[in-house]
Amino acid sequence: MLEVDERTPPLLVHEGEGFRLQKFPLGTRVIYPPDSLPGIRDVRGAIRHAIANPLDSEPLAELLRPGMKLTIAIDDISLPLPPMRSPDVRQLVLEEVIELAARAGVEDLKLTMANSLHRRMTADEIKHAVGERVFRSFYPNDLTNFDAEDPNGLAFIGTTEKGEEVEISKRAAESDLLVYVNINLVPMDGGHKSVPIGLAGYRSVRHHHNVHTMLHSKSYMDPRPGRSAIHDSARRMGTVLRDAGIRIFTIETTLNNDVFPDPFGFMNKREWEWSVKDQASYLAAKKANDLAPPKLRHQVYLRIQSPYGVTGVNAGDTDAVHERTLARLHEQQLVEVEGQSDVLVLGIPYIGPYNVNSIMNPILVHCMGPGYLFNMYRNKPVVRPGGALIMFHPVPWEFHQVHHPSYVDFFEEVLSETTDPMTIESKWEQQYATDPWYIHLYRTSYAYHGVHPFYMWYWGAHALDYLGDVIVVGGDPKACARMGYRAASSFRDALEMAGETVGRSPSISYLHVPPLTVADVR
Amino acid sequence: MAASSRRTRSLADEVREVARGWRWGRRPVVPRSAERVTPPAKVWSFPTDWARTEAGRAARDVILSGVMKPIVWNETSPEVFGLDNLDHLTPPVMFVSNHSSHLDATLILTTLPPKWRNKTATAAAKDYFFDVWWRSAFTALVYGGFPIERGGGERATEKARELVRDGWNLIVFPEGTRTQDGWVQRFRHGSARLAIDLGMPVVPIAIVGAYAAMPKGRSWPKKGRPPIRVRYGPALEPEEGETHQAFSLRMQHAIAELFDEDRTSWWEARRRAAAGQTPRISGPQGPKWLRTWEGSRPVRRRGTPPVWR
Repeated sequence: MLEVDERTPPLLVHEGEGFRLQKFPLGTRVIYPPDSLPGIRDVRGAIRHAIANPLDSEPLAELLRPGMKLTIAIDDISLPLPPMRSPDVRQLVLEEVIELAARAGVEDLKLTMANSLHRRMTADEIKHAVGERVFRSFYPNDLTNFDAEDPNGLAFIGTTEKGEEVEISKRAAESDLLVYVNINLVPMDGGHKSVPIGLAGYRSVRHHHNVHTMLHSKSYMDPRPGRSAIHDSARRMGTVLRDAGIRIFTIETTLNNDVFPDPFGFMNKREWEWSVKDQASYLAAKKANDLAPPKLRHQVYLRIQSPYGVTGVNAGDTDAVHERTLARLHEQQLVEVEGQSDVLVLGIPYIGPYNVNSIMNPILVHCMGPGYLFNMYRNKPVVRPGGALIMFHPVPWEFHQVHHPSYVDFFEEVLSETTDPMTIESKWEQQYATDPWYIHLYRTSYAYHGVHPFYMWYWGAHALDYLGDVIVVGGDPKACARMGYRAASSFRDALEMAGETVGRSPSISYLHVPPLTVADVR
Repeated sequence: MAASSRRTRSLADEVREVARGWRWGRRPVVPRSAERVTPPAKVWSFPTDWARTEAGRAARDVILSGVMKPIVWNETSPEVFGLDNLDHLTPPVMFVSNHSSHLDATLILTTLPPKWRNKTATAAAKDYFFDVWWRSAFTALVYGGFPIERGGGERATEKARELVRDGWNLIVFPEGTRTQDGWVQRFRHGSARLAIDLGMPVVPIAIVGAYAAMPKGRSWPKKGRPPIRVRYGPALEPEEGETHQAFSLRMQHAIAELFDEDRTSWWEARRRAAAGQTPRISGPQGPKWLRTWEGSRPVRRRGTPPVWR
């Protein structure tokens, strides 16, 4: 963590498909991610070792036999962010698992992208994630997107002790073995969130993706029991699956913080460590970015693929594996922070889980800012109760018509009436979730489920309940006003405006992401 | 719209912001709270060999004689004594001097006879004189400077050894840094060790008045052409079995005797030296202000003051 003094150069702040250097007031705390861990040199070797020596499970090879029904579920397009440069670690894991299955004489093998209520992945996107060899062998018949609205594709498994219904992919439920291949980007991912959520439909997902659960997840980046209601719920559902005899072999992987490739490599570094080359790269990238027409700029961002290193591969029983995964993830992302501050500053990057190859619309900005990035903490938020959140993003009034059709209506119809998550949930959620047109688009096109924008709004429910003010620097005033934010033309103005809530000389913390970091606030 | 107004910022504005933020042309600094966790910058030495080529030496001669000397001789009133001590010496030798001002190296180089100056290089602190490219280039070209690490050790003097083997004389300031208060600081032993290891004679030099003319913190001499005197002493040879501590002390005494000679006369200084009563050059004991006060006393001018009618 850094405290800004007169020696500190201006700091890089992301703002959608752009970035800037911003001077921060003296004394501002800057929470940087830890240095990137070295990647494993022999990733295939690490994968082979993990599946041959699993945690609390027999080796994978011993679980495979001729005549069995094997399903492999794979994390979808929302991970990792940005997409990983080929070969994606999922491809490497899949090739090892499928090789074992082939040697064991398994014939009935299906692969499913665990996209739950997310949009279907295109053939190219699937090919990038699983690799050409897997894609050629299985697509399109045996390698498919999960369809959470297929009336014949879901199996009701049971209910938890809290009355939560568990309904997952029928094929997965009926398999002798379900292998889940995960990329664990943040502590929220993985564990029991993989199968009970990734392969579930609305009937099941609504039990944890709701306002009450979000308000009781403090934070959902801290999946320890009792800290995050959403994870507690997923854990209960996982127990139901296990009790129903569904055998899951989990393979989780973690990545390091090498997020930005050249020529954006300077974004991975702390500013005062920028070399002359980094400074020149910044100037060139900044100027090119500012001068490029929006469409061209968008295309450049879409093409960014991260040169991640793989830092860990763990396989076996879900709980045991996830414990190891979280430990490795914390090693990469956790930063100790002493106390809270009055103002939290966030630069919202160009990408989030739901706009890969798409557009970050205003609702997704809400999901990224008050949703995910505000929640990048353990113990307590970086900002004090009633404090202010200052975000940098242009918040353009733009939507991807194919990917986010229900978002358009949500923004126009729902948010124009209220921004209160409780009211929104009770008044509109059911209508959007069961709308036949949205369901049709979800199943046959590449649209997010009709209920998805509601969940995006719920992700920010805890922050909206907790914060005194949300100000967006450089945001479209109309779009910001629609969401209940205030728009500021400059950081100085934003601080002036925040002064009404937090006083004239507030303490400020800047969460310097991406690369991602989780603040362990003491 | 702020976002669009940011986009209209000119490249010049962006460059200015980066230049200011990253201190272009100045020593890079690390924010205080990051000093503890920031590893030292990568070790890289600015190449200086080019400045000791024929062309480099010719250019240095022009700069020293045509630019530096006229400036220093115009802004101050230097006098030089004891150059005859060099007559019987064979290069390479090590010139050691007290270090009180940025003028010191210029004064030595511009007072040395050309045949000596052409083959003389100056040891300069790597962390100060070789931190940014333009200062490194200036130091290498004008002073024949080569980087030396203040931390000491074998690597610190690697380049110096190489130069001596090639027949170059060295200018070394054994104090390691300029005086803060005008008095001579403790000598570091690296120069004595180097002289013993290479068996080279050491020529002591006392520079009197440079501190008063341009102390640390000033980048131009004070007004009034302050007097400066550069005194070369007889060379010291490392003796058989002499430790570097003992030789370093002898170097310090030799410079102290030159200071004493400057203050009084050669004869009186010699008598006091024989009696072991040469005044200390490390200044009076006492608070910092007192040392600075005493050290910054104006140096008296020699001869009859001009009379204006």
